[in-house]
This record gives sequence, C-alpha cells and structure tokens, in this order.
Amino acid sequence: MNETIEKKPAKIVLRELQDKIAQDAWDAKQRGEKVGWCASNFPQEITTAMGIPVVYPENMGAAVGAKGGGQRMCEYAEGMGYSNDLCSYSRINFAYADLKHCEELEIPFPDFLLCCNNICNCMIKWYENLALELDVPLLLIDIPHLDAMTCDADRVKYIRAQFDDCIAQLEVITGKKMDLSKLKEVMEVSQRSSKAWLRAVGYMSAEPSPFSGFDIFNNMAVACVGRGTIEAAEAFEQLADEYEALVKEGGSTFKGEEKYRILFEGIACWSNLKFTYKTLQSRGINLTASVYGPAFSFLYGSLDELMAAYAYVPNSNCFERELQLRVDDAIKNRVDGAIFHMNRSCKHWSGNLYEMERQFREKTGVPTVAFDGDQADPRCFSEAQYETRVDALMEIMEENKKEAKA
Amino acid sequence: MSGVKELLAALRAVSADPRAQLDEALSQGRKAVGVLPYFCPEELVYAAGMLPFGIWGAEMQANESKRYFPAFICSLLHTALELGLRGALNGLSAIMVPICCDSLKGFGANWKYGVGEDIPVIDVAYAENRRIAAGEEFTRAKFRGILARLEQIAGRDVSDTDVAAAIAVYNENRAALRAFSAAAAKHPEAVSPFDRCAAIKAGYFMDRAVHTKKLQEITAVLQTMPEKLWKGLRVVTTGIIADSPALLEILAENGIAVADDQIAQESGFFRTDTPVTDDPIIGMAKRLGVIEGCSVLYDPGKQRGHELVQLAKNAKADGILWVMTKFCDPEEYDYVPVKRMADAAGIPLLAVEVDQQMVNYEQARSAVEAFTEMLK
Amino acid sequence: MGDVLTMGIDVGSTTSKCVILNNGSQLIASSLIPAGTGTSGPQRALDAALEQAGIAHGRLAAVTATGYGRNSFEGADHVVSELSCHAIGAGALMPGIRTVIDIGGQDAKVLRVGPSGKLESFLMNDKCAAGTGRFLEVMARILELDVSELAAMDEKAAGKVNISSTCTVFAESEVISQLAKNVDLHDLVAGIHASVAVRTAGLVRRLGVTAPIGMTGGVARNAGVVRALENELGVSISVSPLSQMAGAYGAAFYGWNKTKE
Repeated sequence: MNETIEKKPAKIVLRELQDKIAQDAWDAKQRGEKVGWCASNFPQEITTAMGIPVVYPENMGAAVGAKGGGQRMCEYAEGMGYSNDLCSYSRINFAYADLKHCEELEIPFPDFLLCCNNICNCMIKWYENLALELDVPLLLIDIPHLDAMTCDADRVKYIRAQFDDCIAQLEVITGKKMDLSKLKEVMEVSQRSSKAWLRAVGYMSAEPSPFSGFDIFNNMAVACVGRGTIEAAEAFEQLADEYEALVKEGGSTFKGEEKYRILFEGIACWSNLKFTYKTLQSRGINLTASVYGPAFSFLYGSLDELMAAYAYVPNSNCFERELQLRVDDAIKNRVDGAIFHMNRSCKHWSGNLYEMERQFREKTGVPTVAFDGDQADPRCFSEAQYETRVDALMEIMEENKKEAKA
Repeated sequence: MSGVKELLAALRAVSADPRAQLDEALSQGRKAVGVLPYFCPEELVYAAGMLPFGIWGAEMQANESKRYFPAFICSLLHTALELGLRGALNGLSAIMVPICCDSLKGFGANWKYGVGEDIPVIDVAYAENRRIAAGEEFTRAKFRGILARLEQIAGRDVSDTDVAAAIAVYNENRAALRAFSAAAAKHPEAVSPFDRCAAIKAGYFMDRAVHTKKLQEITAVLQTMPEKLWKGLRVVTTGIIADSPALLEILAENGIAVADDQIAQESGFFRTDTPVTDDPIIGMAKRLGVIEGCSVLYDPGKQRGHELVQLAKNAKADGILWVMTKFCDPEEYDYVPVKRMADAAGIPLLAVEVDQQMVNYEQARSAVEAFTEMLK
Repeated sequence: MGDVLTMGIDVGSTTSKCVILNNGSQLIASSLIPAGTGTSGPQRALDAALEQAGIAHGRLAAVTATGYGRNSFEGADHVVSELSCHAIGAGALMPGIRTVIDIGGQDAKVLRVGPSGKLESFLMNDKCAAGTGRFLEVMARILELDVSELAAMDEKAAGKVNISSTCTVFAESEVISQLAKNVDLHDLVAGIHASVAVRTAGLVRRLGVTAPIGMTGGVARNAGVVRALENELGVSISVSPLSQMAGAYGAAFYGWNKTKE
C-alpha cells in the first residue's frame, strides 16, 4: 500500500516552527516560568541548553514594521521623549513596554534581559533603559568590535568569562541548571542548523537562483530564534533539499525571468518590504547575494571557537573583513549589480557604507546604487527615490550585458 | 581680578588654537598622538614622552567627511574626520580611536582610507562589562598591547615607572581641575562659562604638568577673592561636549553660571582619579570600573541620572542644562529616564541641541532665555 | 489721564506683528506685515500700528520686542523670548489655557502655562521644516493653491490621503505621486494637515497634555490643521481670532506689567 503523506514545503514548516517557538514562550509565561528578552545575536546555546524561553524584541520590531505598525509605535515612543534618530526597533519596543499592547504582535513581558552588543552598542543603551523601566535584571555579554581579521585570544577569554558568568546568573534567576552535556548537544545541533541554512542560501549562486532572494527575509527568523533545535535543523535541511531539487530542474520560486542578479546590502526595509521587493521583481531583478540572512549561522567546534564565532557577526568585524564578505559573496553568486540600503536606524551599519560601496565597486567591477530607507520606520523611505535608483542601476546593468554580448 | 583675567586669557588662547600647541611640541622634537573621546589610555602616550593631543572636533562645516560618514553621524566625528582630511592634524604620529559607540566603530576605517597611513589608527578596545574581573583583565591586556605599539611609535621603551609617573601627572592635573571647577563655581563674576570651559579644555592640547601649574595659579587667586552674591541662575550642565562659543555666550548674556558639570569633555576627564596600583596599567583598567556618569560606559542602574540629580542638589543649582549633541544615540537613549529622574526630584531641566556645524543659535537662545524667565 | 499705552512687536522670520494695548487689556491697534527680520517689515508694522492708534511714538510708555529678530530690533525697552510672550498672550486671549501650541513659519513650540499664566515648561521642535508653516507653504505650492485656501479644501474632504514622510522633500515627492494618481484634492489636503498634526502631537505628548489647550501662531488660522490636531490628541483646542498676534500681544502686556513696577 502506498501512502503518500503530503509533505509541507519547508517555508511553511519554518513559519509554523517560528509560531510554535513564540507560543512556547507564552505558554511558559502562563506556567509561571521565567522568560527573557534577548538580543538577536546573544549566544542562544545558553538558553536553548538550559531550556529557558526567550523572545527577541528586534524580531518583534521587524515583524511590527512588516505588518504596518512601525510608524504608529515609533510616533508613540517619540511622544515619550525618544528621538526619531534612534533605532526604530528600539523605539517600537519602548512603545510596547509602555503601552503593554501592540495590535500587530505581542510578546510576553520579561523577567530578565539578555544583552549582547556584537550586533551594535545601541543594544546596551536600549536594554539599560528596559531594565530600569521594567525593573528586571540585565545580563550583558560585551563583545568588543573586532579591529583585526581574526578574533584575538584576549577577546575570547573575556567573552568566555562573561558566557560562564551569564550561565551562573541565569541559574539563580530561573532556577534551571546548565547541563554541560546538553550544551554540547545544542552546540552540535546548532552546527547542523547553521550548515543547513548556509547550504540553503548558498544555492543562490545557481543561475538562475532557485528562489526569490527576498524569501531569505522570511525564512531567516528561525535561524535567529531557533537554530539550537532539531526541528530547525531538519527544516533547514528540507529547505536546502528543495532548493537543490529546483536547481537540478532549472526551476525557481522567483516569479518571472531572472534578468538581473543583485547583491542587496543591509537590513530589509521591513515597513516597505512589498514595495522594495515588487520594484525589483517586476523588473526581473532577483536578490542573489546578501550577508544579512546568512549572518544567523555560527560555525564552531570548541567552546572557545563559539566565543569567536559570536564576535564574527556582521557588522562587528573590521572593515576589511566586512568588505571581503560582500565581495566574495558577490563574485561567487555572480551578481550584475548591487543595491546599498542606507538604513537611517542603524549608524553601525551605515558608518562605513559609502567607503564600502566604493571599494566593493572597485573589487567586483559591478555597478552599485544606494538608497535611503529604514528597517521599521516607513517615514524614512521614499518610493520615488527607490524606483529612480533601481531604474538607473537596471539601465547600467542592461548596458553592461549588451557590451558583454558584443 | 585683572590677574585672573590675564591667566584665563592665556588658557583661552590655547583652546582657541590647539594647532599652535601641536606645532610647538613638534618643533621641540616631541611627537604627538591624537586622542579621540572617550577614555583612551592617554597616560600611556605621556609616559612614552609624547604629547597626547585631544581631538574633539571643531566649530566648522564638514564637507569632505560626508564622503565617508552619512549626515546623521554626530558632528564631533564629522569634524574630527574633516580636520584629518584637510590635513589640519598632520604631524600626529598616530590617532587613538575607541569603540565605545556605534559611530566611533566606523571612524577608524574612514580615517584609514580617507586620511591615510601617515597617521595610523591605534584601535582602543576596553571592557564595557567593566566591573567584573574578566573585564578589568581584558582592559589591562589591551592597554598593555597599546603600550607596546606606543613604544614602537616613540622609538623607546616605556617602563612601569614611566607609566606610574605619567599617572601621577594626570592625577595631579585632575585634582587641579577639580579645585579650579570648585573655585570657578564660587566666582562666576570672574570666570564666565566660556572661560571655565576654555580653561578645562586647554588641558587636552598642553602638557598636563604645565596645565596644572596654570590652573593652580588661577585657583589661588580665585580663592583669595571675596564671594559675591550671584543674582543670576546657576546650572549644572550635562552632555558630551559644551564648548560652543555661541552657546556659552548665550549663557553669559542670560546671567547663567555653570556651577558644576557632568560633561564628558570636562568633569568626565577629571572627576575620577586613576587608582595607584603596583602594575600601573591595572590601575588604569580599574579607573574604568569606577567611573560613573557617562553615557558610553555600561550603566545598568542608570547611575548617570542619580549622579546628575545629586550634583544639581549639591551645587544648589536652579536647573540642569543638557547640552544635547545632535545625533548622539547614547545621549538620546539616556535622555528619557534621566529627565524623569530630574522631574521626580523637582529639578527643572532644559535640553538644547547643538551641532558643531551649526551657525544659527537662535533657537537655543530663545530656549535659554525662556528657561531663565521661567526660573526667575 | 491714567491711560498707559504699551507696544509689543513680534519680529518673526517671515512676518512682523505689532500690537498696542491700553492699560494692558484694551487692544487699540494691531498690524501684520508679511516681511520679517532683516527687512523693512518691523518698521512698517510699527508705523502701521501707531497710525491705526492715532498716536505718536512718544506716547508709548514701553516697547517690548520678541520673536526671532528681537535682538536686532532697535528702540526696544524690553526684549523677551517669544516663548514667554506667547504664554502671556495666549493666557490673555484665551484665559485659563494651560497648554499652548504655537506653530509658526519655521518652527513649532509647545508651552505649559501655570494657573496664573506663568510659563512652566516648554519644548521646541527639531530643526526641521516638516510640521511648520513652511511645510504647508511648500505643499500648497505643489497643489497650486494659496495657503489661505487649505482650510476650506479640508472641509470638503471625505477621507484623508496618508502622507507619512518626516522629511519635507520626501513628503513633497509623496504628494506629487498622489496627485499623479488623481486622488481627491480635498482628501490630499486633509492628509497634509494630518501630517502636520501628527508631528505636532508628538511634541505635545513629549511635554505632556494638560487641558485646556490653545493654539497661537500663523498656522492657528488654518482650521483644517486645528481640527486634525484635535483628532490626533483627542481634545478640543481653542483658537482666538488674534492667535497669530499672541506673541506681540504678550509682549505689549509684559511691557505694561513692567511699568507698574
């Protein structure tokens, strides 16, 4: 007897897994367990191994932005006195912390905060304020910005000490004990997840790419919140297999013909996702290189290597290493051009963007354009500006293609 | 009183023309290393026999810097980079760049590719998790590495004795600055807000030992003067930098005296001494562990706010003036909880936004005038 | 004769306003010239007010200057910030008012006024044109309207077109693209007014809303903006026919008060 079990596509599995992880945190809160708010690049190995539920305010900011609540929440935070110069994720979160309500998405309130500044130092200021506002303990793993191509032993030692210290403090706060064999297990599963996720996004190098690049922005959530779980590892492996199959048959989930391949530099404009996507897709432009989604993968063997892996988060590397990531990606994935998102919310990402764009152009030889936008505040984005610049880039890519043929 | 005027004028002249100080040092065969804010281990530069040269930007338009930094980066970094790009800092043997805020993290690369390798960047990392042993150890290790680099640049060895001697000079300077600040607070009729700032700021461009002597002279005279009743307002300032001549002039015009400060450029430097320890570099690391009141040092209990309220109470200030550096994230995050603390303590607080590229101060003037009218 | 005549002159960036009060309460002259600091505007406003009152300059017991150009105005007995003057003027024109919203040509201010009419605290806008009279001028020009026509257009709006950009240049581009889509002009104007209201409301909330609220400054004459602000804040907002003159009024009152000392 042949039983055909309808297998859900990987992107659905990932979506459901993301929802389940969120629901688990709510359920835990209901049961009276301690739940934390956690920085996006905090070593999840700790919380996963200890079975401590955490939720991610940065992810909430992205989701609220994507669902159209960014402006409203940002305006509320500005009414509290927060400058509109500040990161829109944090403004949305401050509004939520005060209002205790958000129609687009809600997360359980925290009993403790886990901060890590490998993503940026604004995290520290944001979480300082939350700790005061919500009157909960704050744990920080400080990961100093790298000034060399590799992470030095002093940094590893310092990060490791804070890692251990965090575990000790979490044991006291939550009453849960760290089991080192469980930690080892989680580290292995995380490797499996990370490798699978990288394999999946790696298929972008195929011509045509088997998927629409903007799908990365949807699928990456689990890479952030769930990569320590078997379910995530399996889902990413399924995703990678699906892409592999598509490559074999020359198919793609990208709608229409892939006429141009581009690298998209920066965080997605969550509040303007549809428009930024459609403007490209309708012109046959597919995103086939990005360091942002793949960033949520951490490859390491030993614990010390884990510490270093968390220091290699884009954008915590030195400029040269950051540049190399983009150049290697663009060349491997054979892009025709690149779009640089000058994100008003993120000074860390924007501070070297101009020079990065120049050197990127020099090293890859492909044309680039930059545009003004924001990750979750729609007021900083202009449709007319974006369209004009995309058109200009397309015209140059078109010319280049003609010249190449001639 | 005329003695004080002349003495203050000398320090004003230094602050008005930092380049002259740099040139003088270079002409005497003394090397100089630029020091960007905040909390770089400048004692080590001094210990190596070089002049630590503070770089706090300048009142100027930044144009070239906008090839590197987007417009929404603070003017302190824009103008600092601009000075470098225009060659105004040529002669420096290196520049120290810390990583304590997101904008500073981008400065090193922009300098490297914009200004070039003639003034190489010395990356300064120290622990934000500054109170734990591992944090202190990390800072110590990094500062040791920086010392080795400075030895190369200076072309000589630097012993722990040299470092301890430099720390002694710096601690003496800090004490002199504290005494000056206290004396100036008692004599606003003799020391205008601009003079106070200029006298403090001059230390960033001079040999600290020389600066100490000059400050001690001024303080000695001030301490002999009878205290007069000050009819105007007394404020405590807070922020990163409050050296805009236009703003300081507006304070003076409105009869406002600076009774104390929580400004990174000012008391941020002198409020806390470096502890004296066997390994002097451990002392330097420990100092970072005890400093409070700066928005770029990890502050989980928001001690900055508590300290500010206490300073205002101690100084019997009429209010707090927050000199808000435009585009400064750490300050903007702090503003909300700290303002609440000031409100809860019943201390009026006015925030005035400043930018070193600003030429029109009318809005600041209106705000300060209204604040003064309100508090009378 | 016990009449004490005082003059208040508000030298703004784009307009000069002048008021003469008798005994600090009776309005005997008011003038507005659409030229501000650095032009002949202030002098013309002063001359027009004196002519209206039918008096010579010497009859004035005091002249008080306020506004952006107050420090360069010659012949002032007193110089007071426009924040204090708007607080005083609003208090006189709309007694009992506790929060004053002043949207002028180039900036916006929110003032909290104590029960006795004294300025308690205030906030001013960021150095940005969005949310000021300038923003409305730019938008009106795109729509080929005069600023004075905007309120009437708004009245006929069935809905409002969302204009979200905080940057005037981006907002301009938004409005143009909406025009190209042939949206209803009335709804578009309503959207522009809502945009100003949202910006201003943010400033008000930062200071804290204390009713009753009044509006001063030139933009107070735009009923559409006033309505949009009322919607945004959920409170009613008083406007005086002399709202645009509030600064000058307050200055004249200040001068009268000083003569009693």
